[in-house]
Amino acid sequence: MEGRRKVLVIDDEPDLVEMIRMALERVFEVITAFNGKEGVAKARSDRPDAIVLDIMMPEKDGFAACRELKEDPATASIPVLILTGVAEHFGRTKYHRMGGMEIEAEDFIPKPVDPNELLRRVAALLKKE
Amino acid sequence: MWEKIKFWGKWPFRTLQSKLVFSFLLIVLAGGTASIIIGIRMVGNTIIAEAHKKVQHDLATARIIYQEKLNRIQDVLSLTAKRDFIIRAVMGSQVKSLRRELERVRIDYGLDVLTVVDRKGVVLTRTRSPYCSQDFKGNDELVRKALGKETVSSTEIIPQDELVQEGLDLARQAYMEFIPTPKAKGRREDKETAGMMMKAAVPILDINNEVWGVIYGGIFLNRNYEIVDKIKDAVFRGERYKGKDTGTATIFQWDLRISTNVKDQNGLRAIGTRVAREVYDQVLENGRAFIDRAFVVNEWYIAAYEPVRNLKGEIIGILYVGTLEAPYTDLRKNVIYSFLGVAFFGLVLVLLLAYFITRSITRPIDNLMKATEGIAGGNFSHEVPVESRDEVGHLAASFNRMVRTLRATMEELYVVNTKLQDLNRHYLEMVGFITHELNQPMGVLKGFLIMLQDESLGPLTTSKQRQAVGTMLRNVNALINMIQKYLHLGRIESGRMEVNKAWIPLFEECLAPVLEDERQQLEARRMQVILENEEAFRRVEDEADPVLLRIVFNNLIGNAVKYGKEGGKVWVGFREEPAELLFYVKNEGRGIPPDKLGVVFDKFARLEGELERRRRGTGLGLFNAKQIVEKHGGRIWAESEEGKWANFLFTLPKGVKGS
Repeated sequence: MEGRRKVLVIDDEPDLVEMIRMALERVFEVITAFNGKEGVAKARSDRPDAIVLDIMMPEKDGFAACRELKEDPATASIPVLILTGVAEHFGRTKYHRMGGMEIEAEDFIPKPVDPNELLRRVAALLKKE
Repeated sequence: MWEKIKFWGKWPFRTLQSKLVFSFLLIVLAGGTASIIIGIRMVGNTIIAEAHKKVQHDLATARIIYQEKLNRIQDVLSLTAKRDFIIRAVMGSQVKSLRRELERVRIDYGLDVLTVVDRKGVVLTRTRSPYCSQDFKGNDELVRKALGKETVSSTEIIPQDELVQEGLDLARQAYMEFIPTPKAKGRREDKETAGMMMKAAVPILDINNEVWGVIYGGIFLNRNYEIVDKIKDAVFRGERYKGKDTGTATIFQWDLRISTNVKDQNGLRAIGTRVAREVYDQVLENGRAFIDRAFVVNEWYIAAYEPVRNLKGEIIGILYVGTLEAPYTDLRKNVIYSFLGVAFFGLVLVLLLAYFITRSITRPIDNLMKATEGIAGGNFSHEVPVESRDEVGHLAASFNRMVRTLRATMEELYVVNTKLQDLNRHYLEMVGFITHELNQPMGVLKGFLIMLQDESLGPLTTSKQRQAVGTMLRNVNALINMIQKYLHLGRIESGRMEVNKAWIPLFEECLAPVLEDERQQLEARRMQVILENEEAFRRVEDEADPVLLRIVFNNLIGNAVKYGKEGGKVWVGFREEPAELLFYVKNEGRGIPPDKLGVVFDKFARLEGELERRRRGTGLGLFNAKQIVEKHGGRIWAESEEGKWANFLFTLPKGVKGS
């Protein structure tokens, strides 16, 4: 499996993480983390090629985690795809917002997650790179 | 009726109180005016009648004084005629001594003329310069009567030639030029030369009662003020009014004032002036007394005139008394003024009373009105004081009862409503909790089912497996859809729906993701989406909340997919109106019955029918869409031709970029 791109999935819901892992494993190498703190640590240590990040999490939520990743020059270049809840909105154009808070991320995908769509989006992010 | 309302509705009559006060005023004015007019009339008439009566009395008194004077002359002559020296002188014609004696008598008794005539009527002696004698006086009416043994007295006119004989100065005293007098009757003459005299004649008898002569004498009235002043003093006791004598008396020779105490402008006795025309006509022409107001010289008097007659009964002059009218008119004026003053005072008093009385009547009504306004404004604490036991008091009491009942009902309602709100909140919280908890596992289910279906987790070996996975996925999708709608409802119902407006491209942000989401469903039902006015649609931007508008499009397009004709068309379009943007989603299909067009937006509204049961809606989609559109200031409605098509339209107000 040499040469396979590495994707870090950060979510507190093990079943969802499992589902996403299965969806992405068809193409990428998947590593997981179950809260923001652990996710940021793994991003720094394992240097993934892309990150799938949930927002609502214990121990550092997606906002904080994303901000930290983007502020750290070591991880700033890693594209982040955010999973958004039903009550949240991330525009498809330049308009990105959540509950009135700006967030800087490369892409957004609404829950419930369509595994094929997710795979397509992650692939698109990596190709762009 | 309308006129009446208009009248009472005008400015001063806005309030009940002003109407009542005005009515009071009207009544008082009407009654007051009538009684004032009647009162003034009565008082005026009484005063005038009193004045007339008094002046009539005065005239009678004047007449007595006048007659008294005449009687006195007669008495003096009678006594003198009986004196020896006269009889002797007449019998012996001793004129010289007679004249001396008689002249003393004349002067002693204040007579102007005293003359003795012999039994043939020839004057024996006169007692006044130039002492003429030997003229015949037998034609004189009085002398004739006296020669016939009668004692007579009367007022007589003495022509000038006779005056000259009786005494030169008398003719001068009588001569009077007329002074022009306003209101007097015109006369051909312009002066008077004759005189007027109170005269008596008495026969001179001897012991055998045989007539030897006559003695006659008298008082000359022209320019002699003794009698008129006596009358004035006796009748009016010298009363004065504003510097003028109230009472006046006059003796007229025909219509000419020869003796008077009426004053002219210069304060001099107004002799030479003449009587007013109407008095002339009544007294001199018709011989009747005249009692009325009369213009005397230059003042108004209440006057009484009666004719003066000579022995033959011919009218030769007038006796007059008058009293100034001014005291009476002033009295009347004063009475009227005090009358009006009292009336005015009464009016003010009535107005004040009316004000306070009506105030006490209208104040409770006022209170009631204010309290009613309070209730209309939702203030149920306002009770009114019950001030009386009349109808208004009863009204106030029942009003208070009503207020208490209302308050109690409102409080009950409030309690019940609070409970209901609590229940509703709990219900919503529970729905929210359940749906939220369901959302996550459904997402996991959906993800795995998709991967199972496209065999990315390994091949499905039988068609039954594939069918089972497909059915599961369809049901999971339906569940997810339902959960999302309940989540929206939860937000809307709990008032937590925030509208985070931003300036966004509507097609890109709101419609495109929905179309993408629904692509599979559309394909499954072989439906074709036709974008109308697409170019403009893609360009249009507005101020809106993209998440919420996406929900609207999601619901409308979801419905079109669900209820539209299999293999039919779905038109999604946009139109720019002057003040708003119009969007619509139209589908071919059975449409909506006209009576349901309005209710499809109600919460949990669902159309009855085979199709609807199979499609399993929540009855929340259109309700949510309506809430969202209205939160944006727009409208949403449905149109349909039953059996052919249904069209859902909504508008958004045009926002201003950068605002």
